[in-house]
Amino acid sequence: MVDLIFTVISLIVIVPLALFLGVIYSYLLRKLSARFQWRVGPMLRMYGDLKPLLGTTRLLQPLYDILKLYGKETIVPDVSRRRLFVYSPFLSLFFAVAAIFFIPFPGMPLLSGVPYSLIIASYLLIASILFTILGPVASGSPWAAIGARREVELFLVSELGFVLSLFAVAIARQSLVIWEISSGGQSLYLALLTVTAGALMFVAMLGKLHIKPFDMPEAEAEIVAGPYTEYSGKLLGTYYLTKVFLLYGLVALFISLFLPPIATDVLWLPLYIVAAVVLVFLLTSVQVLNPRYRIRNAINWYLKVAIPLGVLNFIIALAIWLVV
Amino acid sequence: MGIMDKARIYSPWLYHLHCGGCNGCDIETLAALAPRFDVERFGVQLVPSPRHADILLTTGCVPKQFIPMVKRIYEQVPAPKVVVAVGSCACGGSLFYDDAPENYAILGHPDLLIPVDVYVPGCAPKPEAIINGVVQGILKLAEKRSKK
Repeated sequence: MVDLIFTVISLIVIVPLALFLGVIYSYLLRKLSARFQWRVGPMLRMYGDLKPLLGTTRLLQPLYDILKLYGKETIVPDVSRRRLFVYSPFLSLFFAVAAIFFIPFPGMPLLSGVPYSLIIASYLLIASILFTILGPVASGSPWAAIGARREVELFLVSELGFVLSLFAVAIARQSLVIWEISSGGQSLYLALLTVTAGALMFVAMLGKLHIKPFDMPEAEAEIVAGPYTEYSGKLLGTYYLTKVFLLYGLVALFISLFLPPIATDVLWLPLYIVAAVVLVFLLTSVQVLNPRYRIRNAINWYLKVAIPLGVLNFIIALAIWLVV
Repeated sequence: MGIMDKARIYSPWLYHLHCGGCNGCDIETLAALAPRFDVERFGVQLVPSPRHADILLTTGCVPKQFIPMVKRIYEQVPAPKVVVAVGSCACGGSLFYDDAPENYAILGHPDLLIPVDVYVPGCAPKPEAIINGVVQGILKLAEKRSKK
């Protein structure tokens, strides 16, 4: 009974916590990429004389963007399939929030202990991304259609890498429960798998979060805003909110699967934060150091590099399972 | 001031509408967004679709062929919105604008088509002037309430 109450409370607490952390990670992405480009980026401490007008800090800049979008008019194009166009952002957000319930946070196992939670979490993440494709397709805009098509192509290859890395870990640890994987011990062989499968998961995250060189679904110079071209106001704000939750969810999943036991006990919290910041820093460095791939190059790259790496992971995982 | 009004001031997104200028103002506008001046420190972002924008930044005298596009782009920006006209051409048509006899190809300035809120004169205005214009636009934006 106590466990049940604790789980319910932690499920309620994790949503604002994930939003806050997601906003901080998004802020870091923007700030670090600005610093890499010799810009200032959203300011941590505003200039003294501008404080009354512009606020003291812009640490929550992504949250302000979302709030502003919620205060704006929402335009629904006449040519769109209205129901799918309007509901897709909310369904996408729903699945992203549902996915974070299955990913542990230090001190809060949440629902990560339920059987097959790894499969549930990965399916919910897939569903969330699926609705970021379906909504734009329903909008009737050619730019959104091109963006959605690129997203589908990218999604197919990046998802393969994502699944291969998840299941390599699952085989090596002989468990499909995220909590069991994240509370397991470390050994030399598992550390080897962490490096190879972690690298693959990192690459898959680049595709899922549209980080350069895999940002062709949103290629601004070519296809306006890609999938989000026709979205405005609350619907666009919901998609941005989904992105924030996805960023948090993927970072949390990475830490809980590849860096056990950081995501288990509340005492690991400082290390968890450090790991998350390092991961976001790595994502940002990849973003600023790379130009955008064409879609064909991206697929070729995934097929030539990521998928063989995934197969290698599987071999290592099987060897660990059979030998160790 | 509520949190929504604050958010409106904190995150103005620009859509850069080039209607028939000589590109001088556009270069200065981009200079305002580039590392030297970097308006992103105040949360300003250049967005690719007018549907995402709060501030419409127009440059140039409007050629008559552009009339439907300018109207359409203005209507695509969701309320509340502000139009900032950058450069002499966008403020008063500059040397391209004649009342009589009317120019056969050039309409003049975007104010003849869409309501402009802030004018930034200069040929071309400096990035500092453009940033000041955007700030005036933000202040006007804060006064407007969304219709929906």
